Amino acid sequence: MIKIKIFIENIKKYLGYSIYSAKSELKAEVANSYLNWIWWILEPICMMLIYIFIVEIVFKSKEPNFPVFVFIGITVWNYFNKMITSSVKLIKNKKTIITKIYLPKYILVLENSFIYGFKAMVSFALILILMLIFKINFTIYLLYFISIFALLYIMTFGLCCIIMHFGTYIEDLNNVCNIGLKFLFYFSGIFYNIETKIKYPFNKYLLTINPISFIINEFRNIFMFSKTPNIFVMLVWFIIGIVFSIIGIKLIHKYEKNYIKVV
Amino acid sequence: MDELSIEVKNVHLSYRILKKYSIKKIYKSFKKENIKNKEVLKGISFSVKKGEIVGIVGNNGCGKSTLLRTIAGIISPDIGEVDLKGNTISLLALGVGFNEELTGYENIFLSGMLLGMTKKEINEKIDKIIEFSELNEYIEKPVRTYSSGMRSKLAFSITAILETDIILIDEVLSVGDIKFKEKSYNKMKELILDKSKTVLIVSHDIEVLKEICDRVIWIDDGNIKKIGNVNEILEEYKNSNR
Repeated sequence: MIKIKIFIENIKKYLGYSIYSAKSELKAEVANSYLNWIWWILEPICMMLIYIFIVEIVFKSKEPNFPVFVFIGITVWNYFNKMITSSVKLIKNKKTIITKIYLPKYILVLENSFIYGFKAMVSFALILILMLIFKINFTIYLLYFISIFALLYIMTFGLCCIIMHFGTYIEDLNNVCNIGLKFLFYFSGIFYNIETKIKYPFNKYLLTINPISFIINEFRNIFMFSKTPNIFVMLVWFIIGIVFSIIGIKLIHKYEKNYIKVV
Repeated sequence: MDELSIEVKNVHLSYRILKKYSIKKIYKSFKKENIKNKEVLKGISFSVKKGEIVGIVGNNGCGKSTLLRTIAGIISPDIGEVDLKGNTISLLALGVGFNEELTGYENIFLSGMLLGMTKKEINEKIDKIIEFSELNEYIEKPVRTYSSGMRSKLAFSITAILETDIILIDEVLSVGDIKFKEKSYNKMKELILDKSKTVLIVSHDIEVLKEICDRVIWIDDGNIKKIGNVNEILEEYKNSNR
């Protein structure tokens, strides 16, 4: 419990820095490009167009309001994928900072979550615009957005802390993560509907045991299909997310001052 | 009895030469090839009184910087402990966390907040920082356009306003051109000579150490070779390097 107390104190202490640093990172990212921040909108739109081309034209598959459908998948996936990928080598990449001053290392994950969280929010705003274009009704179910995003956030944060810790010591984790993420990508129903394309009961299993496909599906339920999310499964994954976070924070607390010895 | 500010007790620390794990490295470790730890600190113990200025000398790679990092709490010792008696501490490091694409002005906030200052504190001191840095209109330009001298001026100006009980200095006594060097050295001296502050300073500049230190620690190959009188030890150290 003491460690969690220290964690909360550190978050309070470094929140200002994390936000400022995330803003700086976002600003620096587009500082020299011609299209500037428009890339944050353009990139997911281009990805969406690619999937529409592949799924609707090449595979001749039909899904109602497919652009909105696939955009939700891409938004969730991009957030999760970029968070995990950047965490594996986070300590190594921030070597210049962490060898000179003490900074609780989960602050680095927090900073990343602000950067990619901001991009995800831009993407979610685009979903609302797409909904207007495709005449999908805005319903009261949209209020579930906060709880589903909180679930995605806490799951990803916990996993990233654990991956950052082990990634510091195990070089091969980067390759393992890349393969794991590729696998997860195809089994998360980003550009297809798990419920209709995979046979019963496997579709139900996949939508329950894969948190990413579950989260994407619930976002689609509230944005497109006016359905209440599965609160029980959400709660179970939320608890798992909290457990991941606690494990990650404890690992970092215990070993963070040894990271420099290996980077 | 004088109040102690830092107590270093039997600190041992090793870096892993064969850094992280990978299949190749695990295979090598089975064959017991090349796997060894480099012991950088081999049982260092000393204490520093409040308000004391202690110089640390030693040849390159003897463990001086690692010792400062250990005292600053950036890295933890394998064995032994460092007791700061509840004092706040900072290791003066130049340009930590600078973002090349941001302006000098924005980097003052970024680096300052990383060093533990709040936005409000920086806002209160920002005019002083800019004035001291002599960057004038360049403060609104991205740091990537700065010369290395300008960069150090900005970095120094940010670090010089830090207010902690213990200050650790690793070779950054003065930076920039001749004029700024004198100014930054004077500022550093003002910071160091403040009697409420405890200072540990690593430097190769024997004359400077003679001028400002109360005591000197000579580190050789991870051990304390000598500790005590400034002039005696520094002369001996100088002669050993001839």
